[in-house]
Amino acid sequence: MSRLRRDPRMERAAHRIAGTPRPRFDLAAASAATSAATSAAPGRLRRDPRGEERLALVPGTPRRRLDRTQRVALAPAGAVPAAAMAETAPRLVVIAEPAYLVAVVPDAPGGRLTPHDRQVIGAARLLADAGGGAVLALVEMPGEDLAAAGVDRVLGLPVAGYDPEAKAALLHAVLDGLDIRHALLPESADGADLARRLAALTGEALFAGAESLTAKAITRAAQGRRIEQRRAPPRLITLAADASAPHGGAPHEAIPVVFALPTLAPGAILSAEFVPADPASVGLDEADFVVSAGNGVHDFTAFRALVAALNATPGASRMVCDAGLMPRAAQVGASGTVLDARCYFALGIAGAPQHLQGVARCEHVVAVNTDLHAAMIERAGLAIVADAQKVMPALIDALTGAGAAEAQP
Amino acid sequence: MKIAILFSAGRHAASGRPAPVPVELQAIRLARELIGQAAGDAAGDAAGDLSGDAPGVITGFHAGPDAGPLKDALGHGLSRLVQLSIGAQDDPLPSLAAALGAERFDLVLAGRSGQGGEDAGLLPYALARALGLPIVADACALAAGPQPGTLSLEQALPRGARRRLILRLPALITVHPAAPAPLPFAFAAMRRGMLETREGVPAPRAAGEVEERAYRARPKLIAKSAAGASATERLKAATEAASSGGRLLVDPSPEDAAREILAHLRQIGVLRH
Ligand SMILES: Cc1cc2nc3c(=O)[nH]c(=O)nc-3n(C[C@H](O)[C@H](O)[C@H](O)COP(=O)(O)OP(=O)(O)OC[C@H]3O[C@@H](n4cnc5c(N)ncnc54)[C@H](O)[C@@H]3O)c2cc1C
Repeated sequence: MSRLRRDPRMERAAHRIAGTPRPRFDLAAASAATSAATSAAPGRLRRDPRGEERLALVPGTPRRRLDRTQRVALAPAGAVPAAAMAETAPRLVVIAEPAYLVAVVPDAPGGRLTPHDRQVIGAARLLADAGGGAVLALVEMPGEDLAAAGVDRVLGLPVAGYDPEAKAALLHAVLDGLDIRHALLPESADGADLARRLAALTGEALFAGAESLTAKAITRAAQGRRIEQRRAPPRLITLAADASAPHGGAPHEAIPVVFALPTLAPGAILSAEFVPADPASVGLDEADFVVSAGNGVHDFTAFRALVAALNATPGASRMVCDAGLMPRAAQVGASGTVLDARCYFALGIAGAPQHLQGVARCEHVVAVNTDLHAAMIERAGLAIVADAQKVMPALIDALTGAGAAEAQP
Repeated sequence: MKIAILFSAGRHAASGRPAPVPVELQAIRLARELIGQAAGDAAGDAAGDLSGDAPGVITGFHAGPDAGPLKDALGHGLSRLVQLSIGAQDDPLPSLAAALGAERFDLVLAGRSGQGGEDAGLLPYALARALGLPIVADACALAAGPQPGTLSLEQALPRGARRRLILRLPALITVHPAAPAPLPFAFAAMRRGMLETREGVPAPRAAGEVEERAYRARPKLIAKSAAGASATERLKAATEAASSGGRLLVDPSPEDAAREILAHLRQIGVLRH
């Protein structure tokens, strides 16, 4: 790698004595010439295998690891990175005087951002950072996770219950009153509805369901995914899921802004009532809470009773489905269903990689297994090393007992 | 009750040939069942066909150069379809607003978003604004409301959840694919159905600053592991918890384990009692 290639003809030509009709070479003078050459540009570098190894050493791992590809950015070893990290971690990004605002309207059910909301805020960060702007979040209930998601300013929208008409009217007032260059919404059920209401109110074009976004260009699919439309980012945009990366840098300040919102007359919706999904009928890919049985579960009557008592959707590992103890539709994993659930409760599942891929998107995992070293135990947020056959009846007792205790008073 | 249903010039999702959009056919069924219910008549399927003292009428509207495959909608239970004749590049909004504004409809149903055009789903909203109607998205079931002049509807939400709304009529409602499947196609019904052609309002669309090209599928963003990291690290990113460092209980009594699990489930909010 560091060795120069020799060119013997050039070396010989360098020693040729000029002015003679026949070619003559003076090798005595040559030695002086080559030594001069080596001192100026070393013809052949010496390898330092220890130095190379030191460079390839991956820092921060308990076991000695070498990465000869050098694809991971190298940090100089020693005390330097720790100090640098301590310096960067708590720093807050402050945009005191933004050139313009990029508004984001996350769904944030119950005040907590969804992954899609974070992606939309990430996209807004991209548009804001391109010209020194700030991200303004317009939320019904301001939560604490806005700063880490990359929000500079927060404005609360006082909307009571489900009233998208009023929310759109408030957003319209904000869009008119503040210097907002772009407004981004998620293309989710509620976000898409709100964006279209806003577009109808303002009479502006809506760029619906954007699939890629940069500060210069934005694209979406049209005509049944036959055509891709592309333009510079307009004012109203909705962003499809998984189209943009969430903000990964330092937190922003998320300070509240003051804005006089108009008061509104009640709309046409007289009442709204949320009806949670029936977990028995909802598909595994849509389920919110999945309780799953593996090879460690033998008592399937208790398992079914537990699923019903927890009001969850039943799942299973492949071993159980192959044995015919649960239907194939219940299989969780790479060759079954990839879950989108909030919580996964695994009973007697070892946690093979093919199974864990199906649970990759679950936020919370609870595992019961007799083996302390099972991969599922490592993956779980709450791991219990116990016999599933004993834990299941205890859970059912606790649930029915709790239900009875609640019913009595 | 007078119900209007909007039909768009759709394309089949797989073959790309002109075809009615499935949610709009589902809207026909919702409308017929609503009228059948209002008539207190179990055989709701006859309701749409009655003319004189009918408890309700359903009219389909389509603005475009040609009704074409939308005649199929007549076979799926629609009794009358009005085609408002405009150019292929014209904006359908003024034609529809004029036609719907002339007759007073109690309920206007529309699909969620077109399939084969701009596909932005903006037209029902712009139309509701032009007609001064409230709009509700993603209905999957309709029923008469508790008071006359109201409608009770179920709105489909992600993950199989629903929202039950009571709404004052008149209103514009878009239908969600989770609504019941369309009525089966009947050739005789298609022959019997009326297709009426009227002149629409020509409204050429302003040329936008949108550049169009053939669609190219983009890779979806996956969990951000170090993009060039080793295979082990990528597998770990796909399988390991985002929030590691959980609690571990070794050999607790079954009762303790059950209590811990239930407390944890309640804390993360999946257990509601
Ligand atoms: C191409 C391919 C695709 C695959 N796709 C999938 C897939 O999509 N989904 C899937 O699940 N698998 C899949 N597999 C299979 C996967 O590799 C594993 O074999 C399977 O997941 C193991 O299931 P298990 O954990 O239930 O069983 P086991 O591996 O037998 O594990 C049982 C676990 O239960 C524990 N246990 C035993 N007794 C008890 C008890 N009394 N109480 C509590 N715990 C107990 C044990 O400690 C052990 O950890 C696939 C395999 C291949 C080759």
